[in-house]
Amino acid sequence: MAASGHIELRSVTKRFDQTLAVDDISLTIPHGSYCCLLGPSGCGKTTILRMIAGHETPTAGDIRIGGESVVGLPPVRRGTAMMFQNYALFPHLTVLDNVAFNLKVRGVGKAERHRRAREVLAQVQLDQFADRMPAQLSGGQQQRVALSRALITEPRVLLLDEPLSALDEFLRLQMRGELRRIQRELGITFVHVTHTQLEAIAVADAVVVMEEGRIEQAASAHEIYTLPATAYVARFMGGQNVLAGTVIAVNGGAVTLVDGTGARFATPVTSTAPAKGQEIFCCIRRDRIKVEKLRAPLSSVGEATNVLAGTVHAIEYQGSYVKVTIDVPGREQFVGNLPDHAFLTAPLDIGDAVVARWATEDVHLLTGDSTRTATGVRPLPLEAQRDGVRSR
Amino acid sequence: MGTGGAILRLAGHPLQAMRPQPLGTSRVTRTPYLLVAPLTVVLIVFFGIPLVLVVVVSFFDLDKFDIIPTFVLTNYAEVFGSSLTYALYAKTITYALIVWAITLVIGFTVSYFLVFHVRSVLVQMALFLLCTVPFWTSNVIRMISWIPFLGRHGLFNQSLIAVGITDHPLEFLLFSNFSVVIAYVHLFSLFMIVPIFNSMARIDRAVIEAAVDGGASRARVITEIVIPLSKTGIALGSIFVIALVMGDFFVVKIMSGGQSSSVVAAMSNEIAILQYPPAAANAVCLLIIVMLMVAAIMRLVDVRRELSG
Amino acid sequence: MTARSSNGRPWTFYALAAFFTLFVLFLYGPMSAIFILSFQGPTGGLTFPMNGVSLHWFKALVVQQRSGDFVGSFSRSIVLAIIVLAITVVISIMAGLAFRYRFRGATAVFYMAIASLIMPGLLLGLGVGLMFQFAHVSPAWFSSALGAQLTWTLPFGLLIMFAVFSRFNRAYEEAARDLGASPWQTLRLVVLPILLPGIIGVALFGFTLSYDEFPRTLIPIGSRNTLPLEIWAMTTDVTSPALYALGTLTTAVSFVVIAVALTSIAVIQRRRARRQRDRTPGPLGDA
Repeated sequence: MAASGHIELRSVTKRFDQTLAVDDISLTIPHGSYCCLLGPSGCGKTTILRMIAGHETPTAGDIRIGGESVVGLPPVRRGTAMMFQNYALFPHLTVLDNVAFNLKVRGVGKAERHRRAREVLAQVQLDQFADRMPAQLSGGQQQRVALSRALITEPRVLLLDEPLSALDEFLRLQMRGELRRIQRELGITFVHVTHTQLEAIAVADAVVVMEEGRIEQAASAHEIYTLPATAYVARFMGGQNVLAGTVIAVNGGAVTLVDGTGARFATPVTSTAPAKGQEIFCCIRRDRIKVEKLRAPLSSVGEATNVLAGTVHAIEYQGSYVKVTIDVPGREQFVGNLPDHAFLTAPLDIGDAVVARWATEDVHLLTGDSTRTATGVRPLPLEAQRDGVRSR
Repeated sequence: MGTGGAILRLAGHPLQAMRPQPLGTSRVTRTPYLLVAPLTVVLIVFFGIPLVLVVVVSFFDLDKFDIIPTFVLTNYAEVFGSSLTYALYAKTITYALIVWAITLVIGFTVSYFLVFHVRSVLVQMALFLLCTVPFWTSNVIRMISWIPFLGRHGLFNQSLIAVGITDHPLEFLLFSNFSVVIAYVHLFSLFMIVPIFNSMARIDRAVIEAAVDGGASRARVITEIVIPLSKTGIALGSIFVIALVMGDFFVVKIMSGGQSSSVVAAMSNEIAILQYPPAAANAVCLLIIVMLMVAAIMRLVDVRRELSG
Repeated sequence: MTARSSNGRPWTFYALAAFFTLFVLFLYGPMSAIFILSFQGPTGGLTFPMNGVSLHWFKALVVQQRSGDFVGSFSRSIVLAIIVLAITVVISIMAGLAFRYRFRGATAVFYMAIASLIMPGLLLGLGVGLMFQFAHVSPAWFSSALGAQLTWTLPFGLLIMFAVFSRFNRAYEEAARDLGASPWQTLRLVVLPILLPGIIGVALFGFTLSYDEFPRTLIPIGSRNTLPLEIWAMTTDVTSPALYALGTLTTAVSFVVIAVALTSIAVIQRRRARRQRDRTPGPLGDA
């Protein structure tokens, strides 16, 4: 690999007229990593991708690839290639000519460019479709043509804009594994924009969660999922219940807080413990919640810590686990993901009065905005990350 | 775009492309000015300047057949002082309103049928093209084709006699107001169909289905949903048809057999004998009236806002 | 809801279909009458009945030249229509590209085009004629008449380009740029080929609107007529079926042009069309 696909955004801001799309973002994506930009629509993730690609110019700030500023350079001189949402395959060209397009505009002769395009197509098992028009291919085939067309430019960075959104569920799961495999094989940097949480943590070394033009958290997929930095990330990733309250006691490695309804929670803290009286947020993983039918009267759980009482609002069977949503008076709904065998041994029904309990060591303190300034991404070793995600 | 769809949407989205929708990098560039320059030059040279000249000449004086560059109001005094002028305008506006009403009914009905009753897109496109093809052929030929059809011994009279509806040929069919209106409708109904078809085709079917599910009758669906949502097309079609009828001279000349006239027909007679200044004064008055009618329609239906939305 | 007939069509469908059929008969019926009458026998007149069937009046057009300069005006019309087509296509594409940017004066140019479209043709011709008279330039079919026709074809071309560009996905251009194409290569290799059906549409309008134009052309035509002006002259002084023969011929030319344009659009669309919809995914991402 000659050129480095190390990407650095330095205080990048992008305005469209009055709208602030990207607000002073700094981010480093190491060479050879697979990075996902994740967030709801309109959060600025696609704008970042397009600025890296050179389809938008930052209003302020610098973008560096392989150590050199690329602002103002046309896409082709950045060593990036982009795979567009819905692929943007040229409808008037055959699959072969689509893939060979870059070679054609570079002046490569017809025989030579067709030979090389066929080679690339053969790598994705599409050589027998070379003479078809794009509209005659299925979504999955189109996606692989788009990938081939981008990769024939031998980029150091591949930019993928919602690459899986046009596929059905079955293909989406299959192709995300495929993308990850190709990225490993090529060893180049992938930057992948998505609004789907599970897609992001499934493929990426590093996930950047965005909201309203800012980075909420940039970390390994495992960290984003299990150790969210902010209440926003915890809620957005969906695997957590967010708890909020005022600190009433600090003792050693844990603090106790109480919320508006009088419920008490405890959370472990590290070096910088919050002070008494401070408002803090913490979160508890849904899969660490135990839910059982309430037999004693409600008042008896009132003073206990890490216990909430409520009524079952909804029950959704998810295959390996059962998602139980609980209405708790005075606060947002609480969710417990119960292993299917646990649920089946003590089944619940909608309307049942239940208590939810959890252990203090499974609670995670949310540190708020501290990650918003300059953010570097330390990718975890892939296998560790995978295990982390699977162990829930 | 379906086959021919793009070409046929001639009045579909005029302003959509003007929406603030900057290209990738919104830098200030000379590119759009260079690209639009040829169009602008042609329009200024062959539309703008001639328009100004017509206005200027309307104030010139006339000595037999020579134009005298000066500033007089005699041409306008002549126009406004002649009772013929008012009769001509009354006649022309009457034609315009009758033709407008008929083409509106045809345009709406045909579009409604094509959009909401033809299920296959391919058949829809084919039928739409069937309505459109005559537009690409000669207006004069299409007009004179009514002569052997409507004449004393024409096909229509012969069929009527053969069927026994009448025993002598109907005289009012040709060279009359009737034949003038028929020819107008024949020539111009397409200008009503295309814009209405375009705005109707953009109506989301789900809206109609929701209304029907909500218990709305077919008639109420039309009055509450289809008409309001196609009023842009109706307005555009109305502008086209009214402007075309107001500007016509050849249909009224031929199809009335010289028995009727219109503002522009009278003007063409003046031009034929080189009476340019009075013709120009007449032209300016006509343009003002047409502009007022168009402005009134645009006021009623905010064509611009609706098109860009 | 409404009563439905056995195959599920409401009665209104049949009422509207009948209306539509009548309208189509109204559109084409009279035209077919003159096509038939143009094959009138040598002694036949302007109306039915037919006195035999012959090509007499078609021959009369070419051989006797009794109806004026048919061959000359016909070839002039074709040449003029091709020139108008070329200019309309190029200028409309450029203007269509321009209107994708925001630029000062866009609204003014747009309204000028619309005004030019609805301006009564004869008045515009008068203005162009006056302009040439004042400039002491003799009007001619290739100068003043050409310009007058462009004020009619260009607004149509512009409106079609708006419709075409409003459906054009910008991602194609970005993809081309991303793959290293220069702006000119992007236009030539991607934008124009993708827009080709719409551009053929503009060409069709350019050709036929010019080929049949006469109110705008009438005054600034100069000394040599185009075909529609020749026909217009004939409507007042020719009282033989030669007029119909000419009408049949000119309509036939229009039909050929329309057929060529629509067929090529259909061929392009079909080539790009999805042939196999909804293929079920196979084990290897349906390879």
